[in-house]
Amino acid sequence: MKEIILPGDLLAETEVRGPYSYIENGKTYSMVLGMYEKERGAIVPLEGVWAPRLEDTVVGIVTSSRNSVYEVDLKFHGRALIIGGKFERFTFNVGDVVEATIKNIEDKKTIILSYPRLLEGGTLISIKAMKVPRVIGKDNTMIKQISNSAKSLIVVGKNGLIWIKGGDIALATEAILRIQDEAHVSGLTERIKKMLEKN
Amino acid sequence: MASKANKPELIVKGKRLDGRAFDELRPLKIEASVLKNADGSAYLEWGNNKVLAAVYGPMETQPKHMANSSRAIIKCRYAMAPFSSLSEHGRTGPNRRATEISKVTKEAFENVVMLNEFPGSMINIFIEILQSDGGTRAAGITAAAVALASAGIHMKDLIYAVSVGKVGEHLLLDLNMIEDNYSDSDMPMAISPRNGDVVLLQMDGEYTKEELSKAIAMAEEAGKTISKIQKEALRSVYKKVSDKYGGE
Repeated sequence: MKEIILPGDLLAETEVRGPYSYIENGKTYSMVLGMYEKERGAIVPLEGVWAPRLEDTVVGIVTSSRNSVYEVDLKFHGRALIIGGKFERFTFNVGDVVEATIKNIEDKKTIILSYPRLLEGGTLISIKAMKVPRVIGKDNTMIKQISNSAKSLIVVGKNGLIWIKGGDIALATEAILRIQDEAHVSGLTERIKKMLEKN
Repeated sequence: MASKANKPELIVKGKRLDGRAFDELRPLKIEASVLKNADGSAYLEWGNNKVLAAVYGPMETQPKHMANSSRAIIKCRYAMAPFSSLSEHGRTGPNRRATEISKVTKEAFENVVMLNEFPGSMINIFIEILQSDGGTRAAGITAAAVALASAGIHMKDLIYAVSVGKVGEHLLLDLNMIEDNYSDSDMPMAISPRNGDVVLLQMDGEYTKEELSKAIAMAEEAGKTISKIQKEALRSVYKKVSDKYGGE
């Protein structure tokens, strides 16, 4: 049974360490607006900004280039950089959409990216970063379902930017935005499946 | 203008001018996530007060020299709309009063927001008073707390604010404009309901020691109602979607 929790709600009378909760005087409290599953003690936040993690795949827009250092806008409150070296040479233009993997995070606010790949053409849409896990689904099931139905190429960035190319872009976008709105309601996969089959 | 000379009778036959009991709140209504462009927002109606609060962030700090590399900073802007008030009480634009309220609101939230979670970032709180009828700073804080939660900002608690005033020997909860102008004293408070921490306390006028503790007790009692409405506002946003599909 999942329930909605709010900041300051008591989760446990004992100390239980975990993300999105804090401990005061031996008791555990929630610090976000989220869904809480008591049996597993898991909190899934409903809103919020993206917190970068190593190895995350992200999608961003190149905003500046100097020598071979490129700054990328990931809709994040810190900076994100692609640093070219002696053996790795990249040439991007300002405004290019790129996909990359997080190699390093310095002081929670500077992200170093690696393996950048230019995404040519296509459409970029932006959703709430907290809903990205539902868009991807368990073992990529959800996103595979969408890209198979719409016959488009989709790259999902953990930061909430999604790049779509080819096929029925409108259908893919509609499905993704619907997932964003209904992510907290169970039976999501079935509903999206029905919606995709209609088209 | 308010003065002792033209003071109206504020308490008639044991009731207040608007017919409320001494410890009765004005009707309160909150709606969360009303603005699509903001990360979090809330619309509040408290008696005749109408307040819109919006929250952006955590985002990159602008101007950059204000960034703190060990914690997030909070910026708050309280403003009254030019059409918000009938008297000279609410002027629009950045004036002494608005600057003060922005500052105290910011400091109230610095106590509950987990600033160390997002170092180097900035959280913007905007409070716009659309219609004012006394107690707007309390209404602003109550609305901003809901807006912060709906933006997914990490917080220790959902705070609320309410004012307690004194007319003669009576303590009155949640003063409206006319009571505010002619009362003997007025004390807005913001309280963290989880542990009863007082995060804002301002006072005009005088209270005895006993009156002060009674006033705080009154505010805490009223806070139970306010907190409940705040939480219901946030829950209903997600319940609406759940109910549509008959899910959990």
